[in-house]
Amino acid sequence: MAVLRVNRRTMLSGSVGLAATAALSRPYIANAQAKTAVCWLNQGFIPQEDEAMKKVCEDYMKASGNKLDYSIMPFMAQNQKTISALTSGDVPDLVFMDAPSSILPQNAWDDKLVDVSDVVKPYESQLAESARLCSTFYNKATKSRSYYLCPIKQGATPFHVWGDLVEKAGMKISDVPKKWDDIWNFLKQTQAPLRAKGMRKIYALGLQVTTVGPNDGNNLFAHFLIANGGEGIVTPDGKLHTDDPKVREAAIKSVEFMTNLYKEGVVPPEALSWNDADDNNGYHEKLFVADFDGTLSTELAMIKDKQAFYHDMVTLAPEQKNDGTPMKTQVGTGGGYIPKGAKNVAVAKDFMKYFMQPQVMNENLKGGLGRWVPAIPQVVKDDAAFWLKSDMPCLLPYVTEAVLNPTLPVYEGFTPAWGQANAEQLWGQAHADVIKNGMKVADAVDKAFKRTEQIFAKMTFG
Amino acid sequence: MSVTQQAIAVGQGFARPRPVRRAWFSGIHGADYVWAIAFALPYAAIFFAFVVYPIAFGLWMGSDPALYDELFADPRYLTAVVNTLLYVGIGVNLKMFLAFLLSGFFMRKRWWSKALLVIFILPWATPALPAYMSIHWFLNGQWGMLNNILYTLFGIDGPVYLNEHWMGLGANISAYIWKTLPFWTIILLAGRMSVPQELYEAAEVDGATGLRRFAHITVPMLANLYLVCTLLDMVFALGDFNATYFVSGGGPAMSTEVLATLGIRYAFTVALPRLGVAAVMSALPLLIPLVILLMRKLRMSEGQL
Repeated sequence: MAVLRVNRRTMLSGSVGLAATAALSRPYIANAQAKTAVCWLNQGFIPQEDEAMKKVCEDYMKASGNKLDYSIMPFMAQNQKTISALTSGDVPDLVFMDAPSSILPQNAWDDKLVDVSDVVKPYESQLAESARLCSTFYNKATKSRSYYLCPIKQGATPFHVWGDLVEKAGMKISDVPKKWDDIWNFLKQTQAPLRAKGMRKIYALGLQVTTVGPNDGNNLFAHFLIANGGEGIVTPDGKLHTDDPKVREAAIKSVEFMTNLYKEGVVPPEALSWNDADDNNGYHEKLFVADFDGTLSTELAMIKDKQAFYHDMVTLAPEQKNDGTPMKTQVGTGGGYIPKGAKNVAVAKDFMKYFMQPQVMNENLKGGLGRWVPAIPQVVKDDAAFWLKSDMPCLLPYVTEAVLNPTLPVYEGFTPAWGQANAEQLWGQAHADVIKNGMKVADAVDKAFKRTEQIFAKMTFG
Repeated sequence: MSVTQQAIAVGQGFARPRPVRRAWFSGIHGADYVWAIAFALPYAAIFFAFVVYPIAFGLWMGSDPALYDELFADPRYLTAVVNTLLYVGIGVNLKMFLAFLLSGFFMRKRWWSKALLVIFILPWATPALPAYMSIHWFLNGQWGMLNNILYTLFGIDGPVYLNEHWMGLGANISAYIWKTLPFWTIILLAGRMSVPQELYEAAEVDGATGLRRFAHITVPMLANLYLVCTLLDMVFALGDFNATYFVSGGGPAMSTEVLATLGIRYAFTVALPRLGVAAVMSALPLLIPLVILLMRKLRMSEGQL
């Protein structure tokens, strides 16, 4: 049997040989890399979303001859991995994310993203206004706003209601009022009759007055603020308007209404310390009748339960503000962005150009069962058979809210400061100050406003 | 001198004097010297890439004084510092004391104590994330198991545990203790098993009772191990993120946040990684003395485990 003898000479010659092979093969590797883009894609809430993402990648590779070295990862992991990559400089060529409302504004501000205006501009006129506003961010270095996100999809926040519980309480879904506060006041009446029928621990409302977050409590408060006429708290120029009496009044009305619901006992007491999954889990377990939570993930998580999905759960779009004018709900926008330092910007941009084509966008989002709606509204109208006439009862109200009704972009698109204020859970803290610390509503709001102003003062535009 | 003291003295006699340190390269010359360097280089490179570089990068990330101004201006920071001190101080010391007592219990030679030990280890063997999430759900006031048991057995509605600062912090500390207590119990159990039986036999000859044997043999023999374990666990606890993040989530109203979770929140919720690193780095004045003390204790082992 031959025995390989390793001595100094063989080791040195082997090392030299390996080094030579590596050096000689570099041009070929580099050539292959020139056509390859590393893409980090976020995992969907349902398997169909992942399949749709894989399909769009595979279709692009076939059509272009380029290669996408893509990996699909859970949102939180992708978030952390991307922030770490942006910090270290060892970045992928493309990151595709659902509503990246904290990473994008901050990193565009810090000049760490590639301007993708050349990709977005050809579709600019077709994009929803909220998608445009959610895709442009301020860059502190260039002192201007520009496109840093290629928008593909948008998500809104509807009401999720257990229709069967409403009926069981002796009420009718068709009687749900149109105005914002009236909807909550209507739904809260379900609690007493349901408890009288033996549902000892059921609550009417999964109102996320949470001080933990990260997202739901802030999102809910923003919608209360809008419904009470305070939508101008942050304007697209990134300015804060807590000094506007109308905004302050809206904030006071919002905190007062929400804390009163809590004090009335129609909200689970632990809502103050809920995380973003707790309300979903509580809703699925029918521990409360209704909540207001982002996208259709609440419904789609139960798609295998035919009775619940097709009959018991009802999705409602908020229709009117408290003054009777049409309610504008906030939408977040998801899509692709390219970190500075990416080795293959050309392929990454080419892929996003491909993805932004309305028919490609449509096929991808349909594949995900409509949890996200297209950033180009015309897509919905052109494929009404799916978006407007689907047999999924949750889809029409959701599309109506997110696409057909007027919408607003999330404030994070205007300035990174809003994301920081949200991260401190200032609005949840205001609720806790009123509920637990006995603070007057106006004082709690002023306290939150003061801290918000301090955070905004750090971000100066121009 | 009693028999026990003589036995301990004999044991101390085994402690070798510290050898005179020789230069690492002495006796290596010429080609051997080159080869020695060639073989050491990969290890040095790995050490540099995976130890030196990340630490240096972290220090660099948190080196801007403006970050600390921002940190100290955040009202949550002081709360997080106090919580961290409580978390480490209570969590580690209470746990090590319990582990010390339990290691004595598990020294029993009965079959059921061995069986109990297997069950006792389970929390440590369970992955941290689902374990802590289970505790979060267990404590849920509306549908949590604890309050349901209270209602079923006594007809009372328990409190909403995670809505209260002290109960939230207590839940985090308890969860951390529950999760890691088995590990340290096993370490101290191994320590107890290494104490020479002759010492106990000699003590028995001297007429020492169980308590005196505990005080004069077990405690001094395990003191060093106990201290090293405590220091090590303090280092672990300072950086522990899981218990707080998954049990109380830092709530209510961020009042149970510790430095590790605050750092993660800055880094990954607000996308300000430098501020996150600064938050964690601010624990260095406590961490560095702990590590130095730990290193010093590890070098002194005469007459103790």
